[in-house]
Amino acid sequence: MTTSMEKPSEPREPDAPKPPGEVPAQSPRALTRARRRQAVTRFWRQYRTHRAGLVGLAVLAVIALLALTAPLLVGADSQSVTNAPGGPLEEPSGAFPLGTDQFGRSLLALMLWGTRVSLTVGLLAAFLSVAIGTLIGITAGHFKGWYATVIMRVTDWFLVMPTLVLAIALATVLSRSIWTTILAIGVTTWPTTARLVRAQTLSVESRPYIERSRALGGGHGHIMSRHVLPNVMPLVLAQTTLVISTAILTEATLAFLGLSDPTIVSWGGLLQDAREAGAVSSGNWWYLAPPGLAIAVVALAFTLCGRTIESVLNPKLGVSR
Amino acid sequence: MVTRVPHHSVRPRRRLRLLLASGAAALALAAGSVVPGNPLAPAPSEARADDGKTTLTVAVAQSVDSLSPFLAQRLVSTSIHRLMYDYLTNYDPKDNKAIPGLATAWEPSADKLTWTYTIRSDSKWSDGQQATAEDAAWTFNKMMTDEGAATSNGSFVGNFEKVTAPSKDKLVITLKEPQATMAALDVPIVPRHVWEKVGDFSKFNNDKDFPVVGNGPFILTDYKVDSYVKLKANKDFWRGSPKFDELVFRYYKDQDAAVAALRKGEVSFVAGSPSLTPAQSASLKNAPDIKVNDAPGRRFFALAVNPGARTKDGQKFGDGHPALLDQKVRHALFMAVDRKTIIDKVFQGHAVEGEGYIPPRFGDYFWKPADGQKLAYDPAKAASLLDEAGYKKNGQGKRVGEDGKPLDFRILCHATDPNDKAIGKYLQEWWGEQGIGLKVDCLDNVSDPWYAGEYDLAFDGWSVNPDPDFVLSIHTCAALPSKAKESAATDNFICDKQYDELYKKQLAEYDPAKRADLVKQLESRLYDTGYMNVMAYPNAVEAYRTDHIESITTMPSAAGNIYGQDGYWSWWSAVPAAGASSSGSSDSGGSSTGVLVGIGIAVVVLAGGGLLFAMRRRSTAEDRE
Repeated sequence: MTTSMEKPSEPREPDAPKPPGEVPAQSPRALTRARRRQAVTRFWRQYRTHRAGLVGLAVLAVIALLALTAPLLVGADSQSVTNAPGGPLEEPSGAFPLGTDQFGRSLLALMLWGTRVSLTVGLLAAFLSVAIGTLIGITAGHFKGWYATVIMRVTDWFLVMPTLVLAIALATVLSRSIWTTILAIGVTTWPTTARLVRAQTLSVESRPYIERSRALGGGHGHIMSRHVLPNVMPLVLAQTTLVISTAILTEATLAFLGLSDPTIVSWGGLLQDAREAGAVSSGNWWYLAPPGLAIAVVALAFTLCGRTIESVLNPKLGVSR
Repeated sequence: MVTRVPHHSVRPRRRLRLLLASGAAALALAAGSVVPGNPLAPAPSEARADDGKTTLTVAVAQSVDSLSPFLAQRLVSTSIHRLMYDYLTNYDPKDNKAIPGLATAWEPSADKLTWTYTIRSDSKWSDGQQATAEDAAWTFNKMMTDEGAATSNGSFVGNFEKVTAPSKDKLVITLKEPQATMAALDVPIVPRHVWEKVGDFSKFNNDKDFPVVGNGPFILTDYKVDSYVKLKANKDFWRGSPKFDELVFRYYKDQDAAVAALRKGEVSFVAGSPSLTPAQSASLKNAPDIKVNDAPGRRFFALAVNPGARTKDGQKFGDGHPALLDQKVRHALFMAVDRKTIIDKVFQGHAVEGEGYIPPRFGDYFWKPADGQKLAYDPAKAASLLDEAGYKKNGQGKRVGEDGKPLDFRILCHATDPNDKAIGKYLQEWWGEQGIGLKVDCLDNVSDPWYAGEYDLAFDGWSVNPDPDFVLSIHTCAALPSKAKESAATDNFICDKQYDELYKKQLAEYDPAKRADLVKQLESRLYDTGYMNVMAYPNAVEAYRTDHIESITTMPSAAGNIYGQDGYWSWWSAVPAAGASSSGSSDSGGSSTGVLVGIGIAVVVLAGGGLLFAMRRRSTAEDRE
């Protein structure tokens, strides 16, 4: 990769979009904007060629739409136990397409509400995890020395610790709420991102323009935020998308183990409720199958998108579809 | 990966040998993992094992807190103590009346202060020594003198002046004041010659030396924490030997897994503690060879209020909500709870609506509030009570106190009990309509915040004995902890003068009818305070395999529970089914099927390996000379 040594402010774009001579005099801001627009168009053009990525994106769009419109589609009182319309554990019927739970609430409505929680937790936890990972990765790659040694050993320690065990321990100690779940997932899944980002940081920092920037008086903060961060961003973006599916699965696992807020309806929580109601031994498949399938579908969709973004942004992976 | 095979004449043979060896190893592994009786699967599961011994396996969920009768408080442990040790008296399974146990007769003196028990001569400890009045006297004296030994049953001896054994068959107890519970002393009598050697009673858990010396219908032979408790029949038991040779309590922390094990015949009985869910009992009712026992339970399920935790000396601790000190608020909270919906929706009919403190099963002591006294479901009246108490609704519909703080409560819920969580959801909505916020704190271990007084409300429940003294005693001032945050006999820190006076009166009353009347007054007082609001009396819903157990005694025998009885009746009386032997043979068939499957897997592995080998050989044929 060649880097734009002339424009330290935008090292992300290796080659200028157009030779400067052809462009009429414009403000630098307009130039930047035009270049970004082009980059996005180019990204989308390449993304479009990956069928799996498109399918994943379409599925995500539908699910996101359902999550956002849940209050309009099924009404806010569908979570209410006192106003539950059906009998306990009814089989799927015209009135209740997915049957009812032990309180007589429509499982379809609960599934839609659960979408919101699963997506929220998945996105926020992934964001937290990647944010921690990026911060640690960049600083470890930049400062090197004893700081890097110490922090990477900590990372290694977190890496070999089973994530679930650590998350369970955290969720048990803290009070049960959705924020605890987010925190528990966020602070246990960051080491992979940290390692990846550190490797990329090391490779970026070995380039000559960094040395030049340093010679021109660029401080630590400047180099990390203006040169390294934009260069690791593609990696971080792809990593985020992949971590989301892990986070959603972990959230469901924690909820299923009864470690999330029992008053919030989530997919994992529905599975836990089903187990407690005795739906497994009674063979009430309609209580168990839909949340399980939904978790699988969303996790799959995020993985498909993540893999596609990864292969678009990383030319080395671009060959294989 | 090896494409060149220089010494092809040697290599293939060696490979073949390796393949055969690994195939044999796989065979051994596969067969070993499916044959029962290997050391990884210790507990025999079927009713009749190959050696002709009959085993009754009971699936339980509750952990044993201690196997020491001086420390145990949980239902599973006290039930096991009923089997291990004989008590002075027992309860008739028919009508809960006191009948002979280790004592054959008992009578008070004219001044009501001296009780004389005649101890039977045909009860032997399992190490051959005779059980005598000495053992009983030593047990009671230990509880009176050692605080560590008084942890679980100290309430029985608090009023004892002196306990002596003038002869082998005479036990004399002198009281400070008359005590009505003398024919219902639920205290296991332990062998003096064994327990004398124990150092610290507050630490000794009685789970190191097996078999544990006892004189009950069963003898404890083995115990592994949260894995199993094994007992064998005491053939010399004076009332007659139990019909099953072995009794195993096996742990299933997941109720649904226990039900699946019952369906497959791995266990003979699923304890209804916690009760089977409505869905489970409905599906089991249609299953072949399984009987569901759905009987009035001996438990109550209540909404306990923290009245401000404090010690015996009046030192306050904890952080209970100050609004709950107002009786009107407590009444309003309970009046906003629709108990009928709880019975219909949460218990789905497997419970009876709550009234007084003691369940209707104990007819003598059952009390119902009169119409004027009853805190019936009445949201409108609850709202006006809250208004009167000074908690008015603000603009957003939230109730706020005079200090402007919103009325928000926490409720302690057992994370392991689905009913707690379900009712928590209803309470949130009912109280939400009243403008009261509720946070449902579901914890695996509720004891810590409970003893520390760090809660506002809690889901509470106790099993009631035929003699209600114990469940009444836990609400007296005397039960309060002596030090802050220490565990104590008190349930939820209630200390009420009027209640205490009535409690003393009933304890001193020897006339059953008069005592019952006093107990009812006591319940009435407790109801009015609003500290213990009984929502329901849950049924005992449990199930067993009729092809393992032919008959078993419920208590009371007309319609009663099997697991957690006041006595050893169920397990002592259980008769192995005639079909149990056939289930044994079918199981051995199962194990031979297992061996067949193992052999099948090994054959497939071998065949696959052979095929792979052949293909590799062909693919490298060109390289070979």
